[in-house]
Amino acid sequence: MKPFMKGTALVLAIASAASLSACGSAAESEADAAAATAAPSQTELAKLDPANPTKVTFYSYSLAYPTMKPGMEQLIKEFNDTVGKEKGVVVEGVADTTMQQYKADISAGKEVDIVQHPFGTLDASRLSLGFKAYEDVFPKAELDAHLQGISPNALELGKIDGKMYGLAFTFSTPIVFINGKLFEAAGLDPAKPPKTWAEIKEASLKIKAATGKDGFGLTPTNGWITEGLILSNGGTVLSKDRKSAEFASPESVEAIETWKDLYQNGASAPGTETELVEQFMAGNLGMYASSTSLYSGIKKASEAGGWKVYGAGMPQFGDKPAVPVNSGSVLAIRSDTPEKSAAIWEFIRFVTGDRGYTIITSQIGYLPLRTALADDPNGLKDFVEQNPLYRINLEQLSHIQPVAIWPGEYATEAATAFTDAIVKSVMTKDGDVKATLQKAQDDINQMIQ
Amino acid sequence: MLKPWLYLLPALVLLGIFMYRPLLYTFYLAFHKWSMVPGTEPLYVGFDNFSRLLANKSFADSIGNTVFYTALLLPFSIVIPLALAAVTHHMEGRMKNVYRALFFIPMILAPVSVSAIWRWLFHPSGGLVNTALMKLGLIETPIAYFSDPSFAKWIILLITGWKMIGFSTIMFSAALTGINSEYYEAASQDGAGSMRQFWNITVPLMSPMIIFMLTMSILFSSQWTFAYIDILTTGGPYGTSTNVYYEMYKFAFSNLNAGFSSAASLLFFVVFGVISLLLNSLSRRFSFYDN
Repeated sequence: MKPFMKGTALVLAIASAASLSACGSAAESEADAAAATAAPSQTELAKLDPANPTKVTFYSYSLAYPTMKPGMEQLIKEFNDTVGKEKGVVVEGVADTTMQQYKADISAGKEVDIVQHPFGTLDASRLSLGFKAYEDVFPKAELDAHLQGISPNALELGKIDGKMYGLAFTFSTPIVFINGKLFEAAGLDPAKPPKTWAEIKEASLKIKAATGKDGFGLTPTNGWITEGLILSNGGTVLSKDRKSAEFASPESVEAIETWKDLYQNGASAPGTETELVEQFMAGNLGMYASSTSLYSGIKKASEAGGWKVYGAGMPQFGDKPAVPVNSGSVLAIRSDTPEKSAAIWEFIRFVTGDRGYTIITSQIGYLPLRTALADDPNGLKDFVEQNPLYRINLEQLSHIQPVAIWPGEYATEAATAFTDAIVKSVMTKDGDVKATLQKAQDDINQMIQ
Repeated sequence: MLKPWLYLLPALVLLGIFMYRPLLYTFYLAFHKWSMVPGTEPLYVGFDNFSRLLANKSFADSIGNTVFYTALLLPFSIVIPLALAAVTHHMEGRMKNVYRALFFIPMILAPVSVSAIWRWLFHPSGGLVNTALMKLGLIETPIAYFSDPSFAKWIILLITGWKMIGFSTIMFSAALTGINSEYYEAASQDGAGSMRQFWNITVPLMSPMIIFMLTMSILFSSQWTFAYIDILTTGGPYGTSTNVYYEMYKFAFSNLNAGFSSAASLLFFVVFGVISLLLNSLSRRFSFYDN
């Protein structure tokens, strides 16, 4: 009886498939019509009404992490209490732990206006999620005036095909956090940190020999520092025109082999990203290469554990200067009415303005992209003096390079294939780095070409 | 004539809305490209999703892992629970419930908190497991279980299995109470020992439940491992611990490619459909009902 029932259901099911498909497209064409009403380009912003404020949603991953949450909340609250109140904008923050919530909510038809968006998938989102270019939504004069003073290098990073789809927001460059106590225990001077990968290896093994604890950690799955590693050795990840993957060159292979050597010879701690953060914060790891955004959490942990945090810039290969990449986010926007655009613009102006970056840097730990703030007594001068680690990062900002923005539709698959190949190269003891990278490169090129 | 249909209506409506409509929609989406964004239309692409899927390396790898999880979960869902249920069945008084509660508690713990605890236990630098193994002299350097390709999927299996044991044990215990104790009395008077009783009375009379649990375990093992894969390894290192469900989830909700994910689901709908038909016939042949 049962199999028979199932069979019948299947037949019925297939028979009615056509009617269901019609049902789906009806709903979509309505939404299509709504989207079409948004003006493509404006010379002036719409008027906002303080008595009748416009609500804007802001999806932020920083809101989901305990180390960053209070700072991001302060940013939103301060905007709502000051500019928002005066102009008539209410921003509602939505915590987005995995950077998937905004996708799900856009799919569900909810209003998603501003997203703290990661770099690698910006192109994919632009194509499939209806994010807009700043030039198409905001008046040129206002935009140009606001962008004055933001690190030009940083501004370049959110541009695709000459248009800005994301405004640089929370940024950091790679940093090597150093546990002063373990360094001194191994007879090393944390104020004179290792500069090259060879020195990192040496210091790491010294720490291990002296303290029994791991000397250095960089997780193979980190995703972005890997790219800096390849670029620092003169390699590339993605071609300039973003049409082909190019990470199997001899320079890239050499960079990954250096790292593999550290990993396979006890100079780099094994473990996932979460495990390494925990290990470093617990005082059981000498050096940890990661993002400055962890600084506020690490600083608290070090104070509790009775040791001091030092920092070093991205290590280099021999005498070639290191090429740091950026991690962090841009603000990507989806506005569908002129009022929304005006409201979004007020928020963006605030959070990427002087006050915004003062909060972002001092409360969360990301870099002030308005670099002049670091020397501004009303801005971050005191803070940077107390936390000299930021100087390292600000210096790196001037020669920062973007991480690969994988092209369009296959972006996530390409990014996964790249990361998997790196992880495999570093972690497999007898594996052939060249062959692994070459294979992944061929696979990706087959996908994107 | 209308009356019986009215009785069936609520069930049919619920099944229709929550089971058959999504199922059919999946069939439809499998031949389309769509990012699920309101305002965009699914685009018909024929069999493109399928050819792209079969060429996808991570999907191919995930199939092997799915077989691995499905097969190796069986001891945890059948063998161990059956033994535990049989052993605790003859216990008297409070201890019986204490033991059963011990087995069942893992089942009702939230996967996220369970994962956090297991992560600490297996932590490469401060974890209890590494510390113990090193103290015992079994290993020299700590193992990073979740980022080591030769361990990651075994740990995922272990955690899922540990959670499964409780559920199966309860199911088997319930089935055991349904067995008439006169059989055991008669058998012991004829001189049957406890092993003999287990094989010749318990197992045949439990056969419907055993086959039911077998079906459940085979069909759902991929879903049960999902949470731990997501939280502990996200399928890594380099895809060595992922399974088809996790890949489908990533296709749809991380890559936003509903069509691609639907194509994968459709393939597995067919595969699992065949498996469940086989199990169904197995059930008819081997189940013994004590009516």
